[in-house]
Amino acid sequence: MNIVVLVKQVPDSGSERGLAGDNTVERQSANNVINEMDEYAIEEALRIQAAEGGEVTILTMGPERAAESIRKALSMGPDKAVHVIDDALHGSCALSTSKVLAAALGTLNPDLVIAGAESTDGRVQVMPHMIAERLGIAALTGARKLTVDGGTLTIERQTEEGYEVVTAATPAVVSVWDTINEPRYPSFKGIMAAKKKPVQTLALADLGIEAGEVGFAGASSEVVEHAKRPPRQGGQKVADDGNGGAALVEFLSSEKFV
Amino acid sequence: MDFSLSDEEKAVRETARTFIRKEVMPLEQEVLRRERAHEPGLRLDELRELQGKARAFGFWGLATPEEYGGMDLPAVMQSLIWTEIGRSWVPFRFGGEADNILFFANEEQKAEFLVPTIEGERISCFAITEPGAGSDAANIRMTARRDGDDWVLDGEKTFITNGNDADFAIVVAVSDRDQDVRAGGSTAFLVDRSMGWRSEFIPTMGEGGPASLVFDSVRVPGRNVLGEVGQGFALGMQWIGKGRYIIPSHAVGVAERALRMAIEHANTRETFGKTLSTNQAIQWMIADSETELEAARWLILRAAWTVDQGTDARHASSMAKLYGARMVNDVVDRVLQIHGGMGYTRELPIERWYRQMRLLRIFEGTDEMQRLIISRDLLRGYTEIGGHLA
Repeated sequence: MNIVVLVKQVPDSGSERGLAGDNTVERQSANNVINEMDEYAIEEALRIQAAEGGEVTILTMGPERAAESIRKALSMGPDKAVHVIDDALHGSCALSTSKVLAAALGTLNPDLVIAGAESTDGRVQVMPHMIAERLGIAALTGARKLTVDGGTLTIERQTEEGYEVVTAATPAVVSVWDTINEPRYPSFKGIMAAKKKPVQTLALADLGIEAGEVGFAGASSEVVEHAKRPPRQGGQKVADDGNGGAALVEFLSSEKFV
Repeated sequence: MDFSLSDEEKAVRETARTFIRKEVMPLEQEVLRRERAHEPGLRLDELRELQGKARAFGFWGLATPEEYGGMDLPAVMQSLIWTEIGRSWVPFRFGGEADNILFFANEEQKAEFLVPTIEGERISCFAITEPGAGSDAANIRMTARRDGDDWVLDGEKTFITNGNDADFAIVVAVSDRDQDVRAGGSTAFLVDRSMGWRSEFIPTMGEGGPASLVFDSVRVPGRNVLGEVGQGFALGMQWIGKGRYIIPSHAVGVAERALRMAIEHANTRETFGKTLSTNQAIQWMIADSETELEAARWLILRAAWTVDQGTDARHASSMAKLYGARMVNDVVDRVLQIHGGMGYTRELPIERWYRQMRLLRIFEGTDEMQRLIISRDLLRGYTEIGGHLA
């Protein structure tokens, strides 16, 4: 089975993050890591490869620094990677990002595309759906379990109440949550081997996309303003003068907690 | 000049860091709780389980040759990993290691001692120090007397790390009184505990403690000589010299973690209506700590790099050990001062570091022995001022 895993480099959610002067995510000075959910996608792909055979390819769109995350991803075990890199991509919205990724996937002809259900920077959660739509294939999103049976994919889609079983034929896009598996650590041998694995770089011209269709020029949405989240407000203290219980109930019901 | 790490070095360090964060650090509070109750912070079975988890992705035997299943890492990578380990006070280390001098064993001995030690099935200890012979190791008095094909060992060893748990000891004893201990007069033996030596726990200011080993006419078969008869002291010096860049590498991790705690405390704790961090006295302690920490880091990495170049690393390693051990004691002292009374309690790991790190200035070559080596090299003209850049 030919599997492609979408991997995005994001600023480490554990450190200070911010937006640059042009209201895009600050990537230059940030401590960048693989989007955490993508590690689960890689793990799932490697498990399927171990059972079904085939090849696992990492696909990343991002600036030069994203190459670090590609190496990290490869050190977990995938066979090769494709890095879409082009200055004109800066400022791309979700729609144009999906156009680029779909075009790159077109060159790879995958049976299965696996992605993390969201990235910790943008958190829009739409990329798997958009890509599937552009490629005209099924989108199985929000999986907490994935089984492969020949050309049939079945997922358990995690919902707030429980899960739904959804089935589709390959090729398809599957997005996964962090409940699906426990990602492996890159092995020592994997780290040493990652350097030798092929990483193909593609520019927009290689994908037949004009610079004006993507980046700031082609963006369908734009961040015009941003502000820090306001500091948390101090809570309301209720002194218990014998009617503490009643006051508590009153507070909870006024806030519609009960 | 390029001070950056290679992609592989970064990746190996990242994996070690993630493992320590996910698997080891969650045990930290439990380690403190147990130690407050005078129990071992981490039981051997727990250590082995963690080591097994790391082995599953190939982190096993940092210094062990590949033919024994190890990683055989360059010294710089080992140094980086030990710094990561040092960031947690959980007494964890990766498995698959054995005393470097066990590799001098013959094939039968390797099967009996080396391989099971690497696999964690046996525990070794190395015994050269005696009540009357520490830094002056050539003063050892333990005797090894030939009796037919056997040797009979009599005497006492002390401050032996792992001596309480070991099931065999690598013991250096005087095998020929007529020769200098350093040149042919001493021999190293592989001695099973079942051959009759006994150990006694020595309480120390640190957690856990070494042992004294008593040998009372312990009979050792001739086949248990490690290396050659007469080679004991030379092997002993190899054993001692090996860890000199590892110990301060670990200390750098300790200092990093402790300093981070101090910075966070200084930024949050308020006294007299402002945070501690606004006081110049605190700022200077933080500045000095970071400066010394970085100075130590680069001395240590240079020593490790020297090892990797295959050149004589003794001088560089001595400076790294001397300065790294001193640095971590000074940094922890300041971090304790910044934390005030809280730093003195056993709720935080700081007082623990304060006690544990003191050992670093004493064992595996005291500060004074390192200074002796460093100055002797210079005074006798063995080493140029400026090291490899001279």
